[in-house]
Amino acid sequence: MGTSSVAVPARGRRGSELWARLLASPWLLLAPAAIALAAVAAYPLIYGVRASFHAYRYGRDVGSAGLENYRAIFEDHTFWTALGTTAKYVALAVSIETLLGLGLALLVASQLRFSRFIRVSLVLPMTVAPVVVGVIWRLMYASDIGVVNPLFSALGLGKPNVLANPGSAFLGVVAVDVWEWTPLLFLIILAGLQSLPQEPIEAARVDGAGPVRVFFDHTLPLLRPVLMVAVVLRLIDAVGTFDQIFVLTKGGPGTATQLISTYSYNTAFQFTQYGRGMAMVVSLLVLVLLLTIVAIKLMRNAAARTSS
Amino acid sequence: MDVRYERASKSFGSTQALAPLDLTVPDGKFLAMLGPSGCGKTTALRLLAGLEQPTSGRIYIGDRDVTRLEPRHRDVAMVFQSYALYPHKSVAENIAYPLRLRRSAAAERDERVRRVAELLGIGGLLGRMPRELSGGQRQRVALARAIVRRPHAFLMDEPLSNLDAQLRLQMRVEIKRLQRELGVTTLYVTHDQIEAMTMADLIAVMRDGALQQLATPAELYERPANLFVARFCGSPPMNVLDGAVEDGSFRHPTGSIPLPGAEIRGPVKLGFRPEHAEVTDHGAPDSLAGEIYVVEPLGNETLVTVRLEDELLNIRAHAGFDRPVGERCAVRPAEGRVHLFDKDSGEALAKPGERGASSAGHAATAGI
Repeated sequence: MGTSSVAVPARGRRGSELWARLLASPWLLLAPAAIALAAVAAYPLIYGVRASFHAYRYGRDVGSAGLENYRAIFEDHTFWTALGTTAKYVALAVSIETLLGLGLALLVASQLRFSRFIRVSLVLPMTVAPVVVGVIWRLMYASDIGVVNPLFSALGLGKPNVLANPGSAFLGVVAVDVWEWTPLLFLIILAGLQSLPQEPIEAARVDGAGPVRVFFDHTLPLLRPVLMVAVVLRLIDAVGTFDQIFVLTKGGPGTATQLISTYSYNTAFQFTQYGRGMAMVVSLLVLVLLLTIVAIKLMRNAAARTSS
Repeated sequence: MDVRYERASKSFGSTQALAPLDLTVPDGKFLAMLGPSGCGKTTALRLLAGLEQPTSGRIYIGDRDVTRLEPRHRDVAMVFQSYALYPHKSVAENIAYPLRLRRSAAAERDERVRRVAELLGIGGLLGRMPRELSGGQRQRVALARAIVRRPHAFLMDEPLSNLDAQLRLQMRVEIKRLQRELGVTTLYVTHDQIEAMTMADLIAVMRDGALQQLATPAELYERPANLFVARFCGSPPMNVLDGAVEDGSFRHPTGSIPLPGAEIRGPVKLGFRPEHAEVTDHGAPDSLAGEIYVVEPLGNETLVTVRLEDELLNIRAHAGFDRPVGERCAVRPAEGRVHLFDKDSGEALAKPGERGASSAGHAATAGI
């Protein structure tokens, strides 16, 4: 944008100077992004919070409901189940992703052969849109044309029909999340590993530490701040998982894969209980906010302890 | 235990960091590896620690071939230039770490940590974290971590280079005393010739990955094996003049210096140290004519720079030296204190009146 002032034709020096000043003004440059952000983030958020305090009948706003929506979800057994499932889903997916990401990053950082190839191929899943990821995996899980069933039976493990049974469906959606998001953790952790100071690790090796001791005594503690950032980022993101679940199972079978995101979607848009759906989302938002604040506080402490 | 490099070399890709090195450090001795940065001295140290694998050759600690051993199986202790303290561990935990890895009893461990900390004057810092320490204190912690156990060898990689001048002087003395007390074979890497000269029993001068000379400090000073060693050791460095030997005298455009007993003839480089020459009156016999260029009084002595045509010579003079800048004068090297070097290779030639001086440096270890 700044360069367009050059293109202004001879409209008099004063005019072009004014243009240049106007175009160079930071507020003007920020305005489009700020407006876009307000439109897609701030407005829906405010609208959603407001909606959670209103009552809806047949999809129409019929006035303020006070805390009625919150009371309703508090007494809604399914809401608590969905909250529990969300917690389980996030905990399981993020721990597997962290461990896998850490393991892969350690392998690549130790100058494994083909590490460039591994790096590129690991990043690919992140570039695929979540809905598409869901579709791809639904095809793979499909009982008739999928690859998962033949693969399992070839290994003599029978035909799992992953998405048809409550237990395996839950693991199935977790597996999809792991497939898509392990690369993110891998990349962040790899960057962290490569920026670790080498001398303390070399000192430990000379002092008598083997690879395992070096990892647990030094690499892991030194890596902790980076690890915390990566995990918190992923946690926040995982809580809002919707696309893949919606495409794969729509929360089923039963409520086996019903997360707050899908349950609130159903409540709001299938049963037109906009207020109650919004109350669920807002509750979740507050919960995540609190968890994040605690996590950041923990991170600050950890960082303060190790920084030199 | 003695430490031995046998034709040990190291290349990184196509760059040779260390040419095949043959070097023995006798048991209990303090060897300084001295050279400018990039001369291969740190690489040699890291090969011994096991942090790098030699491209060829072997390394022995005592009778044990450690060439392919992991660092932890070599039982050496290393002090890094950056101290390499464990940032997430307290001072006490840092010092205790090597003992902890050797599963020593907790009570004994605490006792040894306390003793070592007191020895180095950091007894009051045991509960602190490394980031709360000054550079000198970190240096002491790193040293304490090395001496808390009795390794086969101490490896020190420029341990004093990050300290201020005052502290460096103090630590130099302490490390030297500690090494003598503990009697552990020590390899000490430095680019500071004063550190090497003052602390070491033996000095290995390195350049471009190759060993130039291995000798005692006195030997190195008296009989440098080549021009590089001659100019690198000593401050200010040795004066070197181009000229030729004819009829038992060194001829230079500004004068001639008698070389009694010189057997060679033809072009050479002549070197003499600043302390082995005097500034005399213009026209004095056996001297080189020039003029006073700069006079720097240091209190205990005076550094005089004399200009001969287009060359500058450094001369150490007595404290009261007082000649005005620009005055015509002459420089007379002390008899028997000049060194001759080959004009092209820079190798030392037999000192006037001596035989085989150039090989004396390499043979010096035999006397240790």
